[in-house]
Amino acid sequence: MTTAALTQGLERIPDQLGYLVISEEGVLASAGELENDEHTAGVIMQMVRTACRFRLQGAAEPPFKRISVMLEDFVYTVTVSGQKVFVVKRQNNQHAPVTV
Amino acid sequence: MGCCYSSENETAEERKQLIPNPNPESKPLHGTDWSASNVPSARTDEQALLTSILTKTAQNIIDVSATDSQGMEQHEYMDKARQYSSKLAVLRNTLPQNKAHFLPSLTSQPHQVLASDLVPYSDVQQVSKIAAYAYSAISQIKVDAKEELVVQFAIP
Repeated sequence: MTTAALTQGLERIPDQLGYLVISEEGVLASAGELENDEHTAGVIMQMVRTACRFRLQGAAEPPFKRISVMLEDFVYTVTVSGQKVFVVKRQNNQHAPVTV
Repeated sequence: MGCCYSSENETAEERKQLIPNPNPESKPLHGTDWSASNVPSARTDEQALLTSILTKTAQNIIDVSATDSQGMEQHEYMDKARQYSSKLAVLRNTLPQNKAHFLPSLTSQPHQVLASDLVPYSDVQQVSKIAAYAYSAISQIKVDAKEELVVQFAIP
């Protein structure tokens, strides 16, 4: 799949503010608020590496399809497909504050 | 005079030696400063300086082509290339294992997964609450010493 084909679908995601496509070698594509954001890419990659080690008992694959990093105003949604990490920054319209 | 000041990269030391001492006797004879630098002693100094500059430059240059041709024959290059590629082939075998360990594919349709609805607020709140309970529980774990850790056996 070419880089253009990879990013076309990401552009159409509702409320997207920016995206990153990352491989093991580094950032393949970036746009919007995440344009050239190597720092965020590094942090997300660390989170993905950690999360992908989780397994439910007896399962060979990680038990999730997506990681959501929830913040007050926006959300980073992350998934892995074909050795590439996709990160989309989306607006969070659920305005109730998260209280701990 | 022009030849004395032509180079701007001269060190202070070199410049000092290049400027000839004013020779009052030669001035009436030749008339110009340029001729003054042409007196035999000045010329010798200049040549010595040029030679020293040449030597310094030669010392600072590494002639790669000369080194290569002396150091290695073509078959030695080939041997080294073969050696490196066999080493690389051995190392490459260890890489796929790492790759398999890293980045499992979570989905075949990344765009749909990323575009689907966000996690509902109630779910986030529930997870936050459970995490807070767990944190509170862990922080309350403590050792309650009831009896001696080391017990002496009654040895007759």
